[in-house]
Amino acid sequence: MTNSGWVLVEVAARLLARDEREAVLGDLVESGESAWRGVPDVFGLALRRQALLWKSWRPWLAAFGLTLPSSFLLMGASLSVSSAYQRVFVTRVAGGISMSPGGLWVLACGAVLLMAWSWTGGFLVGALSRRTLWASALLCISPCFFCLTRFRIESLSRLCLLLFLVPAISGVCQGVRLIHLKSRVALALAVTATTLMVLMWSSGGFQVLNLMLMWPAWYIAATARNSGNTAG
Amino acid sequence: MLGEFEYVLITAAAGLGDNAYGAAIREEIEATTGRRCSLGALYTTIDRLEAKGLLTTWMSDATPQRGGRAKRMVKVTPKGVGAAKDFYEAITRVSRGASWVVNRGGFAS
Repeated sequence: MTNSGWVLVEVAARLLARDEREAVLGDLVESGESAWRGVPDVFGLALRRQALLWKSWRPWLAAFGLTLPSSFLLMGASLSVSSAYQRVFVTRVAGGISMSPGGLWVLACGAVLLMAWSWTGGFLVGALSRRTLWASALLCISPCFFCLTRFRIESLSRLCLLLFLVPAISGVCQGVRLIHLKSRVALALAVTATTLMVLMWSSGGFQVLNLMLMWPAWYIAATARNSGNTAG
Repeated sequence: MLGEFEYVLITAAAGLGDNAYGAAIREEIEATTGRRCSLGALYTTIDRLEAKGLLTTWMSDATPQRGGRAKRMVKVTPKGVGAAKDFYEAITRVSRGASWVVNRGGFAS
């Protein structure tokens, strides 16, 4: 096998799990196959592996049931928090409009809720679809790109839409590593987020669609309780 | 019941004994069937058979002739031997009387 051919095979083999990569590359070296046969062979195996993963409901739920709709909603929530911040601090510093007493409360609740929704969503995506994370990432990036190109609010930066990404990525990282979440912690997180949401509802800063962002927290709480102390 | 390729793979692995691993099984299958065996088909079938309890696999130590890479060793379990035997008997039974089956005298009937 030529050097360039071997590089191609090694790149393709990166799609496989470590042990399998070892065995497959060793088999190819031992049988002295050409790169033209090795590359499609390795890609074929990687493709079969991915196809097998998609036979489960988990990657479908993570990608299309959670990531895609949540990305749009979390961008809306990020925008809402940014607007609240602008109303409370930026306008106040400018000395234009007097601050409403509930403004700071709405901002604080909104910010905590945004973090809770994003983190729990990310955690669940990471835990449900570790090996199909690329699809979930794609289904998060696409709506972000779509909304960024259509963002028309001059007083706010476009990056405001992406506030949710930091806690979401942190959640994904912990979900992928299957960090153990004690059932009491998971339950406290779900109850706190739900309570904050109800309080936001009473202060008029709540949208019915945001109910969709609550289920990951309750799913994590339910699975943590059922399986002892792990989530996902 | 086993599938055709599953049977071929188990038979090849059983024939190779302690020397059954990916490349050797693949070579054996290609030599005996005359058909190309892709890595994808080989390894996904090994996984499926392992999940059914018909095979066990483990990683061996790295060897120099493989560029310092480890082998995925394969061993047929007693359950795998039983499944292969059942498959063979079923095929033998269903083939009885077929025009292409060679009779005891060595001629096709």
